[in-house]
Formats: sequence, structure tokens, C-alpha cells
Amino acid sequence: MRILVVDDDTLNRFLLLHLLEQQGYLDCYEAENGFEALSLASRIKPDLILLDTVMPVMDGYALAPKLKQMAGDIYLPLIFICAVDDDASLARCLEVGGDDFVTKPFDKTLLAAKIRAHARTRLLSKRATEQNRQLSFYRNAVEREHKIVEHIFVNALTVDPELRNIIDFVLKPAGDFNGDMFLTHASPTGGLYFLIGDFTGHGLASAIGALPVAKAFQTMSNKGLSLMEMAETINATLLQLLPDEMFFAAILVEINHSGKQIDVWNGGMPNLLLQNKDGQIIKRFCSKHMALGILETKEFEADVERFEAEYGDRLIGFSDGVVEVENAQGKMLNDSGIEQWLQQDPLCDVAVLLSNLETYAGGIERKDDVTLVIYTCQTLTQVDRFAHASQLPVKVVLELDHQLLKSCDPIIELVNMLTSQLSLYGVHSQVYTVLNELYINAVDHGILELNSELKKTEEGFLEYFNLRQQKLATLDSGKVCISIQYQALQRLLSIEVSDSGKGFDPTILAKTLDLEKSYGRGLPLVKELCRSMTHSHNGSTVSVEFKM
Amino acid sequence: MSLDREFSTDGKELTIFVEQKFDFSKVQDFRFAYTDSVDGIDSIVINLQKTEYMDSSALGMLLNMHRTLGEQVSSFKIEKCRPQVLKILLIACFDKKFQIS
Repeated sequence: MRILVVDDDTLNRFLLLHLLEQQGYLDCYEAENGFEALSLASRIKPDLILLDTVMPVMDGYALAPKLKQMAGDIYLPLIFICAVDDDASLARCLEVGGDDFVTKPFDKTLLAAKIRAHARTRLLSKRATEQNRQLSFYRNAVEREHKIVEHIFVNALTVDPELRNIIDFVLKPAGDFNGDMFLTHASPTGGLYFLIGDFTGHGLASAIGALPVAKAFQTMSNKGLSLMEMAETINATLLQLLPDEMFFAAILVEINHSGKQIDVWNGGMPNLLLQNKDGQIIKRFCSKHMALGILETKEFEADVERFEAEYGDRLIGFSDGVVEVENAQGKMLNDSGIEQWLQQDPLCDVAVLLSNLETYAGGIERKDDVTLVIYTCQTLTQVDRFAHASQLPVKVVLELDHQLLKSCDPIIELVNMLTSQLSLYGVHSQVYTVLNELYINAVDHGILELNSELKKTEEGFLEYFNLRQQKLATLDSGKVCISIQYQALQRLLSIEVSDSGKGFDPTILAKTLDLEKSYGRGLPLVKELCRSMTHSHNGSTVSVEFKM
Repeated sequence: MSLDREFSTDGKELTIFVEQKFDFSKVQDFRFAYTDSVDGIDSIVINLQKTEYMDSSALGMLLNMHRTLGEQVSSFKIEKCRPQVLKILLIACFDKKFQIS
């Protein structure tokens, strides 16, 4: 405790310093006038000042406000030692910034008590100031981190610009960060996906969860995966990443290339509404699952709901921040509220809904994030299915000897390699069907010389299956060659499959697909999927052109 | 590995969940799925939401099922096909024998 005594009277200073010493205050300084006191105080930073009122050069009344200014936010107690005791003079001591006074001749006990009392306040003030300093340090640090995460966030959650014209949406966070998220992405089969999600809580924690979700969604959309697989993957990712009390309610939607077939997986979100052109709500996709990031993979259910809508129907999705918004009377909007708005104004866009929402809340600050999304069913011709397809002309050639024919199932692997390397995800199923038909034909008929007619009956199917296994197991020669040439510009796959077998007469092939026969469907199917099909080398080589 | 199945609560509808690959290697599992304890059913649903890869033998297996259960079952549905699988079913005119969605 450092105390400064300011008095022009040497005796008074001596008395005061003596008193302070008696009280145990040994770190004391003295000054003869206000001017000297000011320069000394700025140097020694006293914790308390005892000052006389009347002094030459600068008196106590002039000194007090200067000392207070110097002290800034921290409380610096100024106790006047007054020679006069008229009320006006004493009041003036306090008005100029003094905190207390004693009159001469001063009472030792009273002065000592006052010094202790003010010292306590000084200590509190110092602590509070230190805490404030720490607090603002942390606040600045957090703000800075928020800015960084926000930057990453904005970059991670960009919406495909091509889809901005197709999907109308708005996100309004309640705080710095959204617990809500909205993602949309084109599918390689010519449709699109979108996701409306809501993490428990707000702030950084939810933002962190959003990043892997966005990344996974984007990757899986590029591959054209099913909602089921998406839901399973996101669930597994979040289960691993998030702490137990945190989870992610979400609606996943896939619109197929027609623009009006809707697949929905809803876990823990409000109803997704489908509104027809007359404004009626014709379908409510309600939550049928638990939110993501809760259930173990083996308990998780990814069953998807499908609905065939009409062009012009509108799919309307929102987060719980919308239905739970309260008006001045504390009444929540609820599903009925938003459905009423939609029916009253069947063409309203998200901007209108948002302004309705603001009006309803009547200026009360929102507690939760708000997300609104509207998709109007339309032809999706502007979605480019091959936006990511490779530009490189590539040729893949495989030679499978009898060992490989026995031991591997090459087609899935080959299709995965082609579609992922060349980013042709949109056609993987069809490429599989084409390649598999040609390969199975080469093996079954070319090499193993099995007869399809066995497959006439259900039992025959099993017999055929067993015979095939047997013949394959004892195979000791034979070869199948597959060659695939990708022509990027024409978006064409030229496929050739040949086998070392005897060949066959292609003219016996069925010309049409006979629904009453359970076999002979393979090559006609390939023919339908491909632009052309030709047989050569006595039927043991087949060439097709698959146009994407 | 056998295929997942689900009976409706009244036991009249059987749903069979096919896996990612529906080809000749599934011939036994699939047959088992539509023949094992199905006495009470009059409706069959084939759920293809997981199925990405299908070939003509799968089509043959579906037709076999149709023929085997044709007298007992009045409704055959194929549901939740992926877009490309749907295309294959439509090329094969399966919409004439199955309700496809």
C-alpha cells in the first residue's frame, strides 16, 4: 500500500507520516504542493493520497481532479485533510473529486479507519479492472476465432451457383453462428440434392460439426449416391465426431432428373411441406427418424420416403426456429401458422415468409436460427450431368485368364474404377449392366458353354447356378478380354468383350424383350442401353458403343 | 447372407430389401426371401433403395417370383428405385407386371 502525503506544512507532513508508520504503512511519499504531487504521483503510482486543501502553486482543489484523471478507471482514494470545517468547504472537497475528508486536528483512529476502508475499495476496484482486462482479452480472442471459422464456413457452405435459380432459400442466424445449415448440390444423374439441418446449440461447436457434413454431402452428391447412403455416412461421421449431447437434425432431399420425383429422409426436423398450385398442402413429410449422430450404425434406419409430385408443386422446408418463433403474447407460430401463410399466398417466396415472420415476432429478438427453403418442381434441364466428367481420352484393357475368371468378380471393380477416375458417376449403374451382361455372356456361354434354356423354370435357375459354380471350379483354360475406350468429347464408351470360346450365331438372339421368358433378356437390354452392338469373330467378340 | 425382410403388421404384405448388387449371385437368397413362410401374404414389395447394380438375371429372378407367387399374391410392387435402375426396369417393360415407383 503506497500512500502519498501532500501538504505545504512540514510539521503536518511529519505528523501524518508518523501516524502512517504507526499503522504499518511504510511505503509512503510526501510532496509540498499540488504541482510536485502531480509529477511524483505519475511516477510512483500511489494507492491512496492524503492532501491538504490550501497550498501554494497548486492547491488541493485544483490537484484533486487532475489526480483522478491520472488514475483512470481504477479507484484512487483522495482524502482531504481540512483546516476549515465549514460545510461549504467540506462539500467542495467532495465536489472536486475528493472521496473523503478529516478535519484538523485529525482524530488518529478515525483517519486510520478511513484509510483502511478506502484501501479495501481500491483493492476491489483493482481486481475488477484486472478482470475486465482479462475479459476483453478473451472476448477479442473469441471474436477473432469466430472470424476465422466464419471465413472457413462461408467457403465450405457455398451453394452451387447453377442451383441458385432453382432453389429459393434464406438462412438467418440468431447469433454469430448458425446451428442451421442449408446445402444443395447437383446430382450426376441430372437431378439435385438438398439438405436442411440444425445442430443442437449455436456458436462454434455447431459450426465445427457443419464442416464434415458439408464435405461429405458434397462428395456423395458428386457420386450420385442414394439418400440412404448419405444419411448413413453422415450419421456415422457425426457419431464419431460429436460429443454425446450434440446431434444434428436434418432433412435430406433428392429430386430426380424429372424434377418432380421427391425422395425425403427426415430425422428430427419439422414437416417438409408439399403445396400444389392451388395452395393446398397435399403432403407432409414428417420426421420418421432420430436426428443424425445419435444412433449406432447397426441401429440406424435410413428408410426413405418417395413421392411423385406435379410440375409447379412447391416443396417447402424450414428449421424449428421458424415454427417456434413467438409473438408478443408468447404464442408460438407452429406448423398451422406457416401453413396458413402458404395457403393465403400460394406464390409467396422465402422473402415474404421471412417478413411475415418478422412481423409476427413484432421486433422481439429471435432465440433460434431461421432457415427457409422453397423448391418449385420444374424440368431440370439446366443441371449439367457431366460438369465434372474427365476430358481425357482413356483406354482400359483387361485380359482375364481362367484363374482370374474363377477367383474374381471384376466388373464392379472395373465400373468403380472407371466412374471414379473419370467422374462418370451418373452412369455407373448402366455401365455396370452393359459390362456385366457382356462379361457374363462371355464366361457362361463362350467359356463354360452353359445353355440358357435351363433357366426356363425357377428350379432351372438354381440348377444353372450350381452347374455354373461347378464348371467354373474345374475350369483349366480359357480367356476373356475386355477393352474400354472413353471418348471424352463424344461422351462415348466403346466397349469390346471377346472370349476364347467357340462363338455362336448371333442371329438366333431374341429381337424383343419377352416378359414371359425369364432368360434371354441380357443382350436385348444391352442393345437398348447402347447406341450400337455388333458381333464379330464368329460371335465370340461383341462391340458396343455406350452413349452417356 | 440372407436378404432383409419385413412383414406388415397384418402379415399380408412382405417387403424384401435388396442389397447394392442384385445379380445372379443372389439367386438363392432372393428365392428364399420370397418363398420362406409367406403363406399369409397377398402383396409383395421389392425395395430397391440400396440397389445400384442390377443385371438381366435379376430381371429373370423377379419374373420367376412373379410366376411362382402369381396365384397367391395380387400386388407386386417395386419401390424406391435409383434413377438408373428405374431406367433398366422400364426398358425391360417391367411396369407391365409390377407397380413401379
